[in-house]
Amino acid sequence: MKGLFELYRQQMKTSFAAMLQYRAALVIWLISQVLDPVIYLVVWSTVSAASGGEVGGYTRGDFAAYFLVLMLVNNITYSWIMHEYEYRVREGVLSAALLRPVHPIHADIADNLSSKMISTPGMLLVAVALGFVFRPTFHLVPWAAAAFIPAVALAFLLRFLLEWTLALAAFWTTRVSALNQTYFVALLFLSGQVAPLALFPRFVQAIGAALPFRWMIAFPVELLLGNLTPPQALIGFAAQAAWIAAGLVLMRFAWRAGVRQYSAVGA
Amino acid sequence: MRALRLMWTFFRIGVMGEAAYRVNFVIQLFQSLLGLLTALGGLAVVFTYTDTLGGWRPDEVVALVGVYILVGGVIGVVIQPSMEALIEGVHDGSLDFTLTMPEEAQLLVSIQDVDIWEVLNILLGFGVLGVALSRLGEQVGALQAGVFALMVLAGGAIVYSFWLILATLSFWFVRVENILVIFQSVYEAGRWPVSLYPGWLRFGLTFLVPVAFAVTVPAEALTGRLTWQTGLGAVGLAVALLVVSRIVWRVGLRQYSGASA
Amino acid sequence: MVGPQAYNPLLMSTPAIHLHELTKVYTVPEREAGVAAALRSLIHRKTEDVRAVDGISFDLAPGEVVGFLGPNGAGKTTTLKMLSGLLHPTAGSLSVLGFTPWKRERAFLRQITLVMGQRNQLVWDIPALDSFELNRAVYRVPAADYQRTLHELTELLDLGPLLKKPVRNLSLGERMKCEIAAALLHRPQVVFLDEPTIGLDVTMQRRIRTFFADYNQRFGATLLLTSHYMNDVEALCRRVIVIHEGKLLFDGDLAALLQRFSSHKTIVVQLDTCPDTLTGYGEVVSCEDGLVTLRVPKAETSRTTARLLADLPVIDLTVEDPPIEEVIERVFAQEAE
Repeated sequence: MKGLFELYRQQMKTSFAAMLQYRAALVIWLISQVLDPVIYLVVWSTVSAASGGEVGGYTRGDFAAYFLVLMLVNNITYSWIMHEYEYRVREGVLSAALLRPVHPIHADIADNLSSKMISTPGMLLVAVALGFVFRPTFHLVPWAAAAFIPAVALAFLLRFLLEWTLALAAFWTTRVSALNQTYFVALLFLSGQVAPLALFPRFVQAIGAALPFRWMIAFPVELLLGNLTPPQALIGFAAQAAWIAAGLVLMRFAWRAGVRQYSAVGA
Repeated sequence: MRALRLMWTFFRIGVMGEAAYRVNFVIQLFQSLLGLLTALGGLAVVFTYTDTLGGWRPDEVVALVGVYILVGGVIGVVIQPSMEALIEGVHDGSLDFTLTMPEEAQLLVSIQDVDIWEVLNILLGFGVLGVALSRLGEQVGALQAGVFALMVLAGGAIVYSFWLILATLSFWFVRVENILVIFQSVYEAGRWPVSLYPGWLRFGLTFLVPVAFAVTVPAEALTGRLTWQTGLGAVGLAVALLVVSRIVWRVGLRQYSGASA
Repeated sequence: MVGPQAYNPLLMSTPAIHLHELTKVYTVPEREAGVAAALRSLIHRKTEDVRAVDGISFDLAPGEVVGFLGPNGAGKTTTLKMLSGLLHPTAGSLSVLGFTPWKRERAFLRQITLVMGQRNQLVWDIPALDSFELNRAVYRVPAADYQRTLHELTELLDLGPLLKKPVRNLSLGERMKCEIAAALLHRPQVVFLDEPTIGLDVTMQRRIRTFFADYNQRFGATLLLTSHYMNDVEALCRRVIVIHEGKLLFDGDLAALLQRFSSHKTIVVQLDTCPDTLTGYGEVVSCEDGLVTLRVPKAETSRTTARLLADLPVIDLTVEDPPIEEVIERVFAQEAE
C-alpha cells in the first residue's frame, strides 16, 4: 500500500511538472469542457422560456444549476484514456508499461488526477463566473450535499475503470475510434449531458437505468441538486458499487487478454 | 492553373493512400451516421417540449443540421487533415521537406493531406438538407442556391484562415495539437442556430471561432433568413481573413526559420 | 587557425557553396528540476544562448564531394539547414549556386535537395512510385527527363521490386533507398546529405555510399555529406571539414587527417585478470577486471593481435577504430600546440 502511495506521488509529480510546460493545452481542454453544457443550457433555457417558464419541472434557473453542476462533475470524472491507448498501441509505446512490475492503471489514474488538480479548480472558477451570467437556482439539502462527495468519487472510479477497460480494445483493433464514438454518444445521452434524464421519454430512461452511464455523471448531479430522495440515493450508491465491481472483473480479464494479444503496431 | 493541378495531384495521392483501407469507408459511414443520430436525437428531445426554437421550426433546424454536416465534411476533407499534418510536420521536422520544395509553401501545406472519406459527410449533409427542405415544402431557386454556395465558400474561406492561423501558432507554442480539439468542440455549437446564444457567446461564435459564418449563415441563406448585410459581411470577412492568415503564415515561417524579428 | 586549407584547382571557378563567418545562435529556455522551479517558470522563463554554429567559413567547388564531420550537436545539421534555406543565419554570409538560401527562391530550390536520415518524405500508405509522382509535379520535371532519371536511379539503387510496394511494407534500408531516389528525381546540382546512413545495417550503408560515389561520377553534382560515422566519409570524400562545438577544426585532405590524427587503432582484450605487467604490446590505456584496452599504431595492429592471441589466455578480443571524438580531440589538441 505504501509502495502504491509512493508510486502515485512520483507519477503525479512528473505529470504535474510536464503539464506546467504546456500552459496553452490546459486552457484549451477547459474551453472544450465548458462549451457543451453551456450550449445545452442555452437551448433548454430557450425552450423553457417558450413553454411558459418551465419544462418538466425545470425552470430556467434549475437548468442553469443542472448544467453548471454537470459541467463540474463531468470535469471531475473525465478521462482521455481511450484516445491515449489508441495512440500508445499505434506508436508501439506500450512496451514500457508492460515491463513495469505495477499494474499500468495506477500510472494512468495518477496522470489523470494530476491534470485535474489544475483543471478542476479552473473549471470551478469558470462555473462560478457563468453562474453570474446564467443565474442558477439551488435547492440544497444538507445530507445530499454531503453525500455528493463520495458519489463523485465513486463516479470517477466507475467512469475511469470502464473507460480504461474499453481503451484496451486498442489491443485488438487499430480502428477503435468507431467504438469510442459509440461509447461517447451513449454517454452523451444517457449520462444526462443532453438533458436531465427526467426529460427523456420513458423507454430511454428504462434503457439508461440498465446501463452504467447514469451513475457516472447524472447521479452525483441530481444528488447535489437535491432532486433525489434518500432511498433513491441509496439505490444510486448501490448501482455505483455494483458497476464498479463488475468493472474490476471486466478490467482484469480484458487486461490479461489484451497483454496476450498485444503485438506492436507500426514498427 | 498550376495550383489547381497541384491540388488535383495531392487529391489523387490522398485517394490512393486511403483506398488501401476499405474498412475506413465503413467506419466513416458509421461515424457520420452516429453524428447525425446525436444531432437528431438532441432535436427530438427538445422539440417534444416546444414548437419553435428561437424562431426556427423543427425542419428548419434539421436543415441547419444538414448544413452543419455538409460544411463539416468540407472542412474535414482537406482543411483539417492538412492543418493537422502541418502541426505534426513542425513537431517531427517533416515540414523541412516541404520547405525545400520549389512551390508556394502555404499552398503545399494546405493541401498536403486529404481525408477522402469525409466526402461521405458532404453527401450525407446534402441528403439531410434535401429531406429537410422538401419537408418544408420550399423550392430552392437558382439565385438562392447560388447565394448558398457563395456563403458556403465564404464560410469555408473563413474557417480555413482560422485553422491556418491556429496551426501556425505551433511555430511558437509546442503542444498545439489540442488547439484542433478547440475547433471541433466549438464547432458543435453550430448544430443550433447561433441566434439562440446570449450576446457575448454569439460574438465569440462569430468572430472568435467562426462557427456562425460556417454554418448558420449558409443555413439562413437557404431558409430565407439571410440579410444582405450579413451576406456582404461574410464575403468581406472571408477576404480580410485570407489576407490576415497569409500574413500570419509568413511571420510564422520566419519564426520557424529563425529569422530575426 | 584551422588545418591546412585544401589545395583545390577546381576552386578557380565560382564555388558552388560559399560560407563566410556563418553563425547561428539559439535561445533556449532552461529550467531546473523540481516542482518549485516548475511553478516559478510559469511566471518567468529563463533562457540561455547556444552558439550552434560559430563563424565558420569554407568553399565548395562544383562537383566536389565533401564530408562534414563532427560529434552529435556539433552544428552539422544546423549548417545544412542554413545551406538549404530552412534556417536564417544569425550572422555571416552564404551562397549556394549563387543564390542566398534563406530567400528560398524557386529557382534555387529546384536545384538542391536535402536527404535526411531516418526522416520520411514519402507518403506512408502508397507505393513509392506514386510518391515520386508528387515530387515530379512539384519540381516540374518534364516527362522524358523523369523517365530517364527514374530509370537510372532504379538501376543504380536496385529499386526494381520495391517501387510498387507500399512504403510502410519496406524495410528501413529499402525505404531509405526510395527516399534517396525521390530526392534525386529532379537531378539537383547540389545534394545535402544529413546522416543518410544512420540506423542502417552495414551492408546497406555500404550500398548507399557506393551509390552516391557513382552518382557524383555520373552527374557531377556537388555533395555535402554530414555524418558521425568515419566510414561514410572515408568511402566518399577526399576532403573533409571537421566541426566541433560550432567551430571549424579542420578543413583539408581526408588522407592527411587520417594519417595524422587517426594513426592508431584500439585493441580491447578480455583476460581473466589484469596482468601485473603488459609491456611490449602497445600503450595500455586502461585495465579493469581483466578488460585491457590497448592503443597500437595502425601498422602494428595485425602483428600485435597475433602476438596477444599467442602469448596470453585471451577470452575475447576486438579491434576498433578510435571513435571520431578521439580523432577530433587530437585535432583540437594539435590546435593548442
